[in-house]
Amino acid sequence: MAPVIPRTDIPVIGDRAAVTRFPAGHAVEDGNLVRSARAGDESAFARLYERYGRIVHAVLLARVDRQDVDDLVQDVFLTAWKRLDDLRDPAAFGGWIGMIARNRATDAHRRTAEFVELPADLESPGATSAEAEANAALAAIRALPAAYRETLVLRLVEGLTGPEIAARTGLTPASVRVNLHRGIKMLRERLDR
Amino acid sequence: MKDETARDDYLWDGSGEPEPDVVRLEHLLGRYRHTGAPLKLPARAAAPRRFALHAAMQILVTAASLALVALSAWFAYSVRSSGWNVHSLAGGPIIAGARVDGPARLPIGEAITTDGSSRARIDVGSIGVVDVEPNSRVRLVTARVGEHRLALDHGQIRALIWAPPGLFFVNTSSSTAIDLGCAYTLKVDDRGWGRLAVESGWVAFQHGGRESFIPKDAVCATRPGIGPGTPYYSDALPGMEEALTILDFSPTQDVRRQAALDTVLTLSRPKDALTLWHLLSRGTREERARVYDRLASLVPPPPEATRDAVLRRDRRALDAWWNALDLDSASWWRLWKRKWQK
Repeated sequence: MAPVIPRTDIPVIGDRAAVTRFPAGHAVEDGNLVRSARAGDESAFARLYERYGRIVHAVLLARVDRQDVDDLVQDVFLTAWKRLDDLRDPAAFGGWIGMIARNRATDAHRRTAEFVELPADLESPGATSAEAEANAALAAIRALPAAYRETLVLRLVEGLTGPEIAARTGLTPASVRVNLHRGIKMLRERLDR
Repeated sequence: MKDETARDDYLWDGSGEPEPDVVRLEHLLGRYRHTGAPLKLPARAAAPRRFALHAAMQILVTAASLALVALSAWFAYSVRSSGWNVHSLAGGPIIAGARVDGPARLPIGEAITTDGSSRARIDVGSIGVVDVEPNSRVRLVTARVGEHRLALDHGQIRALIWAPPGLFFVNTSSSTAIDLGCAYTLKVDDRGWGRLAVESGWVAFQHGGRESFIPKDAVCATRPGIGPGTPYYSDALPGMEEALTILDFSPTQDVRRQAALDTVLTLSRPKDALTLWHLLSRGTREERARVYDRLASLVPPPPEATRDAVLRRDRRALDAWWNALDLDSASWWRLWKRKWQK
């Protein structure tokens, strides 16, 4: 018999994106919130923002200049608010807003690409050593493959546990655990250099 | 995998012995955490309100005046600025009979033409760039916020688009390419035969009710009067492309079809589930039944994708099986309404 394509629990290898699967109950709640928001219910959209704000923030922080992230988070949710009617499956809001965030990060990166970037670990005037160390750690995370850096930002910056990351990104728990394990291993190697 | 991660309990869910360097990183990086600043949203739907008649009239008059001014300004602006920026990458491309040497404008309705030694780059508004390769003719059809559309009459373009899916389109004589956030190359020869190769992301190729979804590293042909063929990965085994050409573009009574289908089914690897899924809704019922069996051997159908439902081309059954293919991040294009089908 021919080999079967694995369908679940696929770990992320390098930049390969894992399959997204949201818990059914979670997705149903998202769908209800999206439908309410489409009808103009701002509180429903605020609830979606509560659920996914940190995810979007992490996606952006893993990719674009830290100073721009807060504005871009607002921008991503504003885009989602305006384009809610374009979302074919309301229950798929989590994957959809993550995709908007990644596209927005790409766009922001393109717009700033023509400027020469300073070394990521360059200390700003008045920076404390802890700030400098935090900057260096963030820069090291951002140099990791995409799948690892997003997961590590969610864990180390946003403070989500692995199971929470799995629930909100739709990645399987096994994928998240492997991403965390391999990501922290690579991060340690980079920080030890 | 469990052994590999067994010592990461603290990293995983905060249980177990704290790892000092992870704790240190949490402490350092926590300063960058999302603050949850309140969103500032514009109203989606204004609630109905009652106005006194004179107040309403005042608002109407003011609004009408403002609209008139805005319309005039918009018209003046659009006359000056409609179209996209273009510049030459090599040689002397032609727009409206004039050679392009420096920065130029491609107005809506106009075409840019390159000869054997010229190339040009079109800025697609602020959402991407399109390189026009030698011996090509490209027209600008639409340039507005929600729709950016070119027509490739013949030749080759390479598009790099960073906008959300469904905003950039390229018409050809046989299909329309709908960008789903990607980079791709599209060729059309003088017969109108096209070939699309995707470098990153996904592209939808559509004509009438027939559509193909082409991921990174896959290609898809198209023919006038028929539309897009079946996508296949560029590393498909020898013989696959030729067999698909017969299946996609020959009449159902063509005697070569059975052998072509034999070839496709035999050569299909697990990753070619992409190709087989597209074939589930094409060809005769007998052909589709054979495709069903082969695909089922590679990717077990989910409960909704019964043999009967799939052979009836039931949309829900086909979608369910597609979801089971685990095509990496492919599911995201399905989140967007297919506006181009309207």
